[in-house]
Amino acid sequence: MKNQSEEKKYMPEISQKEIEELRNSVKATSQKVIAENIERMKKTSKNRPEAMQYFDEIANFFGQREKEIRAAKENGKKVIGYLCLFAPTELILAADAIPVRVNSGWYDTSKLGDRIVPVEVCPVVRSTIGAKMIDLSPYLELSDALISVLTCDGMTKLGEILSDCKPVWSMSLPRVKDSDQSLRFWSEEIKAVKGQIEALTGNKITRKKLKSAIELTQKATKAFRRLQEIRKGSPVIMGRDAMLVNQTYMWDDIERWTEKTEALCDELEKRARQKIWACPPDTPRVMVTGTPMIWPDNWKLPTLIEEATPQGVLIADELCSSERILYDPVGVDEWSMDDMLNAIDERYLMASTCPCFTSEDGNKDRINWLLNKVKEWNIQGVIYYVVRGCMLYAIEYTRIKKVLDRMNVPVYYLDTEYTREDVGQMKTRVEAFLEMLTARIDI
Amino acid sequence: MITAGIDLGTQSVKAVILKDGEVISRGKSFSGFDPTKAAEQAVGEALKKAKLSLSDVDYVTATGSGMDMAPYSNSTISMMGADAKAGVYLFPKARTIIDIGAEEARAVKCDDNGIMMDFVVNERCAAGAGAFIEAMARALEVKLEEMGPLSLKAERASPINATCVIFGESDVVTLIHRQESKPEIARAIFDAMADRISSMVHRLGVNPDVVLVGGVAKDVGFVASLKRKLCVDVLIPEYPEYAGALGAALVAVNRVKKM
Repeated sequence: MKNQSEEKKYMPEISQKEIEELRNSVKATSQKVIAENIERMKKTSKNRPEAMQYFDEIANFFGQREKEIRAAKENGKKVIGYLCLFAPTELILAADAIPVRVNSGWYDTSKLGDRIVPVEVCPVVRSTIGAKMIDLSPYLELSDALISVLTCDGMTKLGEILSDCKPVWSMSLPRVKDSDQSLRFWSEEIKAVKGQIEALTGNKITRKKLKSAIELTQKATKAFRRLQEIRKGSPVIMGRDAMLVNQTYMWDDIERWTEKTEALCDELEKRARQKIWACPPDTPRVMVTGTPMIWPDNWKLPTLIEEATPQGVLIADELCSSERILYDPVGVDEWSMDDMLNAIDERYLMASTCPCFTSEDGNKDRINWLLNKVKEWNIQGVIYYVVRGCMLYAIEYTRIKKVLDRMNVPVYYLDTEYTREDVGQMKTRVEAFLEMLTARIDI
Repeated sequence: MITAGIDLGTQSVKAVILKDGEVISRGKSFSGFDPTKAAEQAVGEALKKAKLSLSDVDYVTATGSGMDMAPYSNSTISMMGADAKAGVYLFPKARTIIDIGAEEARAVKCDDNGIMMDFVVNERCAAGAGAFIEAMARALEVKLEEMGPLSLKAERASPINATCVIFGESDVVTLIHRQESKPEIARAIFDAMADRISSMVHRLGVNPDVVLVGGVAKDVGFVASLKRKLCVDVLIPEYPEYAGALGAALVAVNRVKKM
């Protein structure tokens, strides 16, 4: 083994035997969970779109996509993992590398993370640490380097911990975004990471290559926005299905993902014309916002909403694990290198609604997002979802609730953990909330 | 028209029978290991008191954490929905209903028809609920029902932490070691609990009239602390622990009418 003598900063020494045993058992559970979730999604959705079959396959972490990336690596391609949406994936693509997001949604590995950090720490962080401890995540394992953007405290330290195992490039993010000096600072960070990507891959990011990477992503954004646009009407797709499509973007081949998403949209538009609904059109329309919900285990809340009595349907979200991924395009005027880089700087900084930013407006961008969704997507209730330890989202709740109260939109704060055991308690709350949305019409 | 409401709580099951929307009897049993059986007992007791048999009942609505296990039920209603319905039935001006049971505390905001508009639930921990008082009574070696009257004898308040039953208990042990008197410790326990409940209700907004229901509403010590913390009067019905079952039975009336 390499570097065994080198002292790790955080990661404990675990015997190879224990790693293998743990990995096999967590992987087996995970495969079961993936299959079960898909089965349940199929059961909930009447007339589930046929185009979903492709995304069901890509959703398997231990399947086709893992093999493809492995094969690409054998042919000399590099893989660059990222922990937050601020990582400029266009630059990764322009250097002919594969971008993959590697935050973990596995419940079981969060318990392993407890060996290193206290349980009070955000479970997304603990779970990602745990996944690394037992080499569980194919995409994290295949990554040649990781981009860690210093957003919240948990993410800041997660990169440091993972640097025990992988090269980690930290990108420092200004906490105030609407200022010239912040943009200048961020622009330097983008330039620095560009240099690191070029050095790792040995590929120079040329004007031509960057242009085609931006265009590729713009096409994906177009498909992505088309899907969300379709959800404005009576439901032709269940929320969980749409969320899965959105999320697979983070590890799929982008060109193929775009093609498949466009095909799905064709099918959905046809259904809308034929009035073939995924659930009764008067089903309460719910939006979720808050901590990211990551496939496969942390699918608990969307599942509860769509399998509840009375049933709800997830119409929109404000999550960095779903609708925030691709909502904003990189807007380029002149295809010069400088212009393209400026457009990337602005898109990643300015368009974000992440609560890691602060201003006197109190995250006005996030509020505008939510209000726009409520109005345009005809949202009847909002579930504000927070996992324990997710401070920034927890703090911003009061602000968001005030705004939604004024609009007379019911909002419910739901806190949970990376665990399967509290599903009963959560069900009571989600069902009471949905009952309330229905009762506003009639009890 | 005869309707019944069953509330399958974590510690006990309550049943209420209504005749044309008026309460005619109540029944109660311990949830134990078989909530379905416990519910049958509670309903059986209520029917016996009302001199009715099961076939006389037109409609049954269940509520409570075990509502999916309810026998005889035609439909269910959430605990918060049942609280709102019962609160406004008992006190027509009620707009905030606080329900504190053995394991859970919640507050519901409602409109003048008893329709729930918003709600909050205690954060995944029993420190704001009845089980907390039980654990603390054990630590003080007094009976549960003695805790309230004991706390009213306290001359001053000593603060403790009620973020968690376990930490709360170790705080109580600290007070015991400091040789604080039992009444003062009992008062500290109720104050800590009332603090938590009060913050929870404030997140919802304290809209009068405020009604307190659930088993803990019978504890005079807690009620005194809660009134102090909330700075408003708190109305308590005669049978606070039956509010959930009553709300369910009232919902049953509406549902029969719609059939």
